[in-house]
Amino acid sequence: MFQWPSLLAFGFGNLLMLGWLGAAAAPILIHLWNKRRYRELSWAAIDFLLAAMRKNSRRLQLEQWLLLAVRTLLIVLVVMAVAQPFLEQVGLSFVAGQRTLKVLVIDGSYSMDYKPTDKNRFERAKQLATQIVEESSQGDAFALVLMASPPSVVVGSPSVEPRDFLEEIDNLKLLHAGADLPKTLVQVEQILKNAEPSGPARKEVYFLTDLGRNTWVPDLKDAEAAEYRQRLEQISQLASLVVVDLGQANGENLAVTTLTANEPFATTAREVTFTSQVRNFGAQARNHHLVELLVDGKRVKESYVDVPAGEQIPITFGHRFDAPGDHVVEVRLGPDLLVIDNHRWLSVPVKDHLRVLCVNGKPATVGMSGATDYVALALNPDVGDLSVPSIVQPEIIPESALLERDLTRYDCTFLCNIAQFTANEARVLERVLEHGGGLVFFLGDQVLVDRYNRELTGEHGVRILPAKLQELVSEAQYHFDPLNYRHPLMQVFQGREQSGLLTTPVYKYFRLALDPDSKARVALAFDGGDAAIVEETIHKGRSILVATEGSLSSIDPATKSPWTTLPTWPSFVPIVQEMLALAVRGQMTEHNLEVGQVLGDSLEALATRATVNVTDPSGSHEEVRMSLDAQASRWTYADTTISGVYRVAIGAPVSRDEAFAINVDTAESDLTKLSPDELPKQFTTHQRASLDEMQSPSIGHRTGLHKSLLYCVLGLLFLETFLAWRFGHATQ
Amino acid sequence: MESNPKFLDPQTLAKLQGLELRARSIVEGYVSGVHRSPYHGFSIEFAEHREYTQGDDLRYVDWKVFGKTDKFYLKQYEEETNLVSYMLLDTSESMRYKSADAPLSKLEYAQCVAAALSYMILQQQDSVGLVTFDNEVRSLVRASSNPSHLRQLLHVMENAVAARKTQTGPIFHDLAERLKRRGLVLILSDLFDDVPSIMAGLKHFRHRRHEVVLFHVLDPAELDFPFRQTTLFRGLEGLPDVLADPRALRRAYLAEFEKFLQSVKKGCRGQRIDYVQLRTDQSLEIALSSYLASRMNRVQ
Repeated sequence: MFQWPSLLAFGFGNLLMLGWLGAAAAPILIHLWNKRRYRELSWAAIDFLLAAMRKNSRRLQLEQWLLLAVRTLLIVLVVMAVAQPFLEQVGLSFVAGQRTLKVLVIDGSYSMDYKPTDKNRFERAKQLATQIVEESSQGDAFALVLMASPPSVVVGSPSVEPRDFLEEIDNLKLLHAGADLPKTLVQVEQILKNAEPSGPARKEVYFLTDLGRNTWVPDLKDAEAAEYRQRLEQISQLASLVVVDLGQANGENLAVTTLTANEPFATTAREVTFTSQVRNFGAQARNHHLVELLVDGKRVKESYVDVPAGEQIPITFGHRFDAPGDHVVEVRLGPDLLVIDNHRWLSVPVKDHLRVLCVNGKPATVGMSGATDYVALALNPDVGDLSVPSIVQPEIIPESALLERDLTRYDCTFLCNIAQFTANEARVLERVLEHGGGLVFFLGDQVLVDRYNRELTGEHGVRILPAKLQELVSEAQYHFDPLNYRHPLMQVFQGREQSGLLTTPVYKYFRLALDPDSKARVALAFDGGDAAIVEETIHKGRSILVATEGSLSSIDPATKSPWTTLPTWPSFVPIVQEMLALAVRGQMTEHNLEVGQVLGDSLEALATRATVNVTDPSGSHEEVRMSLDAQASRWTYADTTISGVYRVAIGAPVSRDEAFAINVDTAESDLTKLSPDELPKQFTTHQRASLDEMQSPSIGHRTGLHKSLLYCVLGLLFLETFLAWRFGHATQ
Repeated sequence: MESNPKFLDPQTLAKLQGLELRARSIVEGYVSGVHRSPYHGFSIEFAEHREYTQGDDLRYVDWKVFGKTDKFYLKQYEEETNLVSYMLLDTSESMRYKSADAPLSKLEYAQCVAAALSYMILQQQDSVGLVTFDNEVRSLVRASSNPSHLRQLLHVMENAVAARKTQTGPIFHDLAERLKRRGLVLILSDLFDDVPSIMAGLKHFRHRRHEVVLFHVLDPAELDFPFRQTTLFRGLEGLPDVLADPRALRRAYLAEFEKFLQSVKKGCRGQRIDYVQLRTDQSLEIALSSYLASRMNRVQ
């Protein structure tokens, strides 16, 4: 509830109107004029008139004065009401009537789209902001900040032109993101500090917000929390802070929190299963709620779900795509009061089959002695069986042909027992990762450790490998340690010990050294503790490094036996398949981002001339410029402020259409509201949620009095009528 | 009793010139509605018996004769003029007042009433006299039953000038002494004077065993005080002028006036005087009915 300040100042919004106070003399003048203007009449019963006057002269005079006073007061009150009087909070350092800088901070998080009445919270916030401006005194200055993530300073330099400022408020658009209060406070502090010293001495900051707990209780580390508190204290020294509460308690909301494909890639050859989570953020169970599945805008399935209060339920469904290309899958819930989070989209790149390139560092001399032979077989074990549609099509090239191929056209590249990489080759491989492709390195007897470490581990600026190579280890026979099957790559082996993974012998491998600062993870280790398979997401792609051979091509000269018999072991096929899945998994998520993230891609250098047109979910188009760096052309698009599908049309010579799905961060879907009592003491709160639209009292700590005055006028009108009737002035 | 209201309406009378014409119109208008002669049987002296015929008033059946003869006979009275009426007409300046909405001034209205009554009385072959007065008796016409007497009465009435103050009480005392023959005293006045003094005068009449009917003639404006605009009320009969807002004063004035009326009515009741209030915008029927009622009382 609004707390009345201890000190109040009285003022008028429109001082000029007070000139009409002169009209208050009208009843007195009319009275005097009436006394001078009379008619004459001969009257026989004058005795009675004289007696009546004698007895009532004092009473008559009193009545006359009383009526005059009421009528004069009536006019005074009407004039005062028109002059927009107000009571204002006056801090100790404030003087009433001073010009004021008002910083309006409007919560732009998508929970403000909650629509309990015919207007959502954001529209009401804009309406109230407009009201604050309109009810401000002449000479007041205004600044406008949209509290989003990141916050946006709409009007940073205080504006003294209310009309222009109101236009800015009107143009504000709700973003489909959360709100970052600490960063907003940084901006507000900047505005207050930058305000001209000659400008308004008094400063006020209005936060028009639904007081969502996820915004107002920021999840900060200790140092950040201390900084936040300190900044709040500093701002409260500069200005008075008013929170206008637009939220409602018990906000019921249902949201689609996730939508993922269960398979690492999608092809036309097989059905893809999707899993979506629907969460009930409210306190009441939602039964028989509609859930629809749409593919490329067409509804393909619908079902009804029961979601208990505060719980999340999974929904799984499958779909087989008919044609390759970017397809958009959408899960849509039936309507509730917050619509934005009722949708979730997934852009699915669908291919006829996966294109995998195998680069052979050691060609076969006899039989299956080539470095890529077993890998290629493991990638497509059904080769030759026409009844099974081919999902993976491996292509084998010698290492000398590496630069001749456009590696970005392949979903994954297996590099087997390559001796060394040139700087150019390293850059080509880096582009594969930038493009979201996968790289899998098998080592072997050809590998030159120094060259690998120099060109591929960041020493020359290009980092492709997730770990550095160290010395060869070959003292004994080693076996794999699945590290409790924690890594996704190994999960397929959990409970399948008979697959031979644990008994696979390895005689020789390179010791790998992981950079502790990197995000590289060990998927499989040797029983001695050394890493056997390391993977890391680098750029948008994934790089996987296997410490030993992927074929039987490397023979230990001392023992005349291969480095490992892994390629011939039953566990090899699933390992290769899982590595392929892991390497290309990034493609599924590549076109799926959250609101505020930047869309973009790097294309071959020749694409510089290509035009890129982005169509956002509202249907508006924008042409994006290409930029050229090193060997690639890049385009980026940062205006992803609303959720939905962004269609990108890349013109010739690339000639490709892509679809990007931009989803909301559903943390904002939790409408739990902060109680005004929990707010830091620096804020004054003002409850607005229960007021209906018809009411328009002034807000914040300026309280309009015109309504009260008009009530007084109404009361006086009744009093005047009654008195006039009582005193015999009314029509008899 | 039914009557022809047209000739009893002050609006109509105001259009007629001459008191005689007005008097005749009033009486004829009044009488035209009466089925039977109002004069019949108003005499006091018995004349003869007449056999009952259908339609006769049963009140006049002589039951003694019926007891003896077993036949119905009606008592016939000799229409002897032994009833004397005195018309006392106030001609003070206040009687001259006529409000905008009233068709006749109080004096004109009183004159009409007096004339009509005189005409009616003479028609009944009773005798009627007239006194006009203000602060003194201005004229006194002796009572007579001669039909030609009417003209003299009307002449005196018409020539009455309302220009002086009233002094009703002493005048009534004076007249009570002067009107020796017991009769019916019909007073037409607005009584704008000292009420106790008036009552003392009336008491004197009663003491002399006169029947008194007091016609209190008042203008509707005096009763309703309907003024709105600020007005300078100019006093009549030498009283001061008053500037007042009538709307503010109305309630108090009406209270004062009501007090005055109540004191007059109370005084009349105390002395068994018939009090009849006449508004100058009302039909004259009330005045005539009141007279006839008093006349009837006197006969019985």
